Amino acid sequence: MDFAIDAELRARLEEAREWGAREVRPAGLESDRMGKPLPPEHPYFARALAHGEGRTRWPGAGVAPRRPPQGAVVASLLIAEELAYWDRGICIANPGPGLPEGAVLAQGTDAQKERFLGPFLAPDKPRWACFAMTEPGAGSDAAAIRTTARKDGGHYVLDGAKCFIGNASRADWILVQAVVDGGKGRDAQRAFFVEHGTPGLGGWKIEKKMGLKAYESTSFTLERCRVPAENLLGGEARKSGAGFGTAMRTFNAGRPIIAANAVGIGRAALDEALAFARERDLLRDARVRDRLELSARKLRAARLLCLRAGWLADHARPNIVEASQCKAVAAQVAQEVTALGMEMLGAVGGRGDHLIEKLYRDAKAMDIVEGTGQIQRVIIARQLVNLPRDAGAA
Amino acid sequence: MFDFDPGDELSLLVETVRGFAAEALAPRLREHEAARDVSQAAREAARQIGLAGLELPEKRGGAGQGALARALVNEELAAADPGAALALDPLGPALYALAECGGDDALRELALPLLAQPGARAVLFCAGDAALRFGGERVSGRAPWVPADRADLVVVLDAAGACAIREGIALAPLRGAGLRAAGASELVLEGAPVAARWSDAAAAARALARARLYVAALLVGTLRNAAEFSRRYALERVAFGRPIAHHQALAFLIVDMHMAVDAARLLLHEAAWRADQGMPFEGEAAAAFADAVEASRLVGPAAVQILGGHGFMQDYPMEKSMREARALGLLCGGLDRARDDAASRLAGPVALSAGEHG
Repeated sequence: MDFAIDAELRARLEEAREWGAREVRPAGLESDRMGKPLPPEHPYFARALAHGEGRTRWPGAGVAPRRPPQGAVVASLLIAEELAYWDRGICIANPGPGLPEGAVLAQGTDAQKERFLGPFLAPDKPRWACFAMTEPGAGSDAAAIRTTARKDGGHYVLDGAKCFIGNASRADWILVQAVVDGGKGRDAQRAFFVEHGTPGLGGWKIEKKMGLKAYESTSFTLERCRVPAENLLGGEARKSGAGFGTAMRTFNAGRPIIAANAVGIGRAALDEALAFARERDLLRDARVRDRLELSARKLRAARLLCLRAGWLADHARPNIVEASQCKAVAAQVAQEVTALGMEMLGAVGGRGDHLIEKLYRDAKAMDIVEGTGQIQRVIIARQLVNLPRDAGAA
Repeated sequence: MFDFDPGDELSLLVETVRGFAAEALAPRLREHEAARDVSQAAREAARQIGLAGLELPEKRGGAGQGALARALVNEELAAADPGAALALDPLGPALYALAECGGDDALRELALPLLAQPGARAVLFCAGDAALRFGGERVSGRAPWVPADRADLVVVLDAAGACAIREGIALAPLRGAGLRAAGASELVLEGAPVAARWSDAAAAARALARARLYVAALLVGTLRNAAEFSRRYALERVAFGRPIAHHQALAFLIVDMHMAVDAARLLLHEAAWRADQGMPFEGEAAAAFADAVEASRLVGPAAVQILGGHGFMQDYPMEKSMREARALGLLCGGLDRARDDAASRLAGPVALSAGEHG
């Protein structure tokens, strides 16, 4: 067993901390004060691009992909934690191919990688892409989506509505999950690249949220939206059913990242609460010490659960239970820690201008995105006690 | 670099201990509980696999293993029977006060003689659990409960240091709330001569931290067994036309129990690893102990609950797990002091920074 972080990763974390304190936290606070996402032309995004954000992992046409270094997932989780410490909303608002990149790398044709990831190799300006699964009637239950794709000659025609999609209105393209040709259930789902400006893609509504205001969560509609057949992820030769696999793989990889984000949010709240307690000499109060102790301990446990899930992924070992565990635990801990932080602030928390108050609002989403805490428990229960799919919400 | 795998050597140790516990302890847990001791055969089998000298230095005839090995071993033993685990360990957590405060001389003069006597027991208690009065080189006082029916050596640990007592020890048997396989007594010292006394606050803090890891590992094992036993039961027991595990209220409870055990185990392993690396680990050990105790308040009663009426009856071992987990959490000064110690470490400038490991 080994719980050490090597010098190289420590240096990366130090760099993330420096960047986070200088750029990420102020950008997040600015957006929260405005009550809406930073516009795409905000200078923060250009600086993020200059800093190295916004690039694809795809190495380019004809270039063999580098094998990820040992411990790459654990490292990415610690970095995700550190950046979320400074502002989780900005982490999501950052330019880049984002959530769908993994699916495109895993399943996209060479032509699709070139066409859709190519612009992210050396981007001339901040660019975004996004993944659209969630619908008004289908959140964690990804099998329930109703957006349809109908084959029409060399095209597919998409109809439906998506909601809460991160960065959608500023994205160059959206990977849209849809049910093909009146099929039913998961096997009939496929993903389609829909480019910005495609006729029929519209009805943009940037939602107003309780927290995480820094990135746009956007609803939009697809009305007789025609995309060429080449825009079907993986091409038509791929057998149907691959679409749902795409979605669930994206979810799977995402859970420990969300958990790491939650730990970062919780740590920020704990540090603020500690600073507040020291300033006002509150540490003599046993109840105050108890709250801080509980917060620190639960965050440490959540981080270890999270890193264990990442470590299993690094070793290509199954991590279904562990990924859901860390997601369920960390999201709950982040809520508890931020709530305890508010309690410590007392009436100061009621003013609405303290960082802990923002973190309290931000943290809630961690128990909702990428499968709610309840869904995580269903997933774990399927493994632990073979919970059947017809039991309760499953 | 991060690695959650215990490695070949420790995995082999775990396998060996697990086999021993399944064969010699688990089938006889009620027998051991009633006898207030483990059987001769179990003691002999434990001796043969070298459990007693696990953490003693090699030059003292031990295996020279560290806190992580102890954590893994104790989890396996306690998964079968935490009382038996204590009964089988002549030195128990008293070893740490001797080693940290008294050093090699204390090991040679006080610890090793116990290993030569079958059934000998050292008893650790943390001052605060007992009101002690020192007069000259003698000590008087009572400890309301120690999990032992025999004490060849008493080690008292307080914030300033430790002292060892070999004579003038009286034990009055108690029914005991749990851990009865290790015995249960009130400890009475009346003018008992102090055999050795050491003043070293830092060493005493390390000794207490190691003792907390020892007990936290027993808790993790006890809770693992309770969570697993009740999970299996819930898959067999049918109510309203389906296994009770398939009612979501119970499925979620089972999930939460397993998550609590896993979290407590990870905190324990990290703290033990830090101890083995020579890093500061006192706050982490206190937190690991606190988390295991808090997990026991969920898992112990929930395991009984899942078995319903059967859980309450002694035909099943869940009532025993619930009592014993509760009793374990009372050792080493208990939860509140552990939380205080963990909290006092938060006074430093940085809490939980991502780069703090290693």
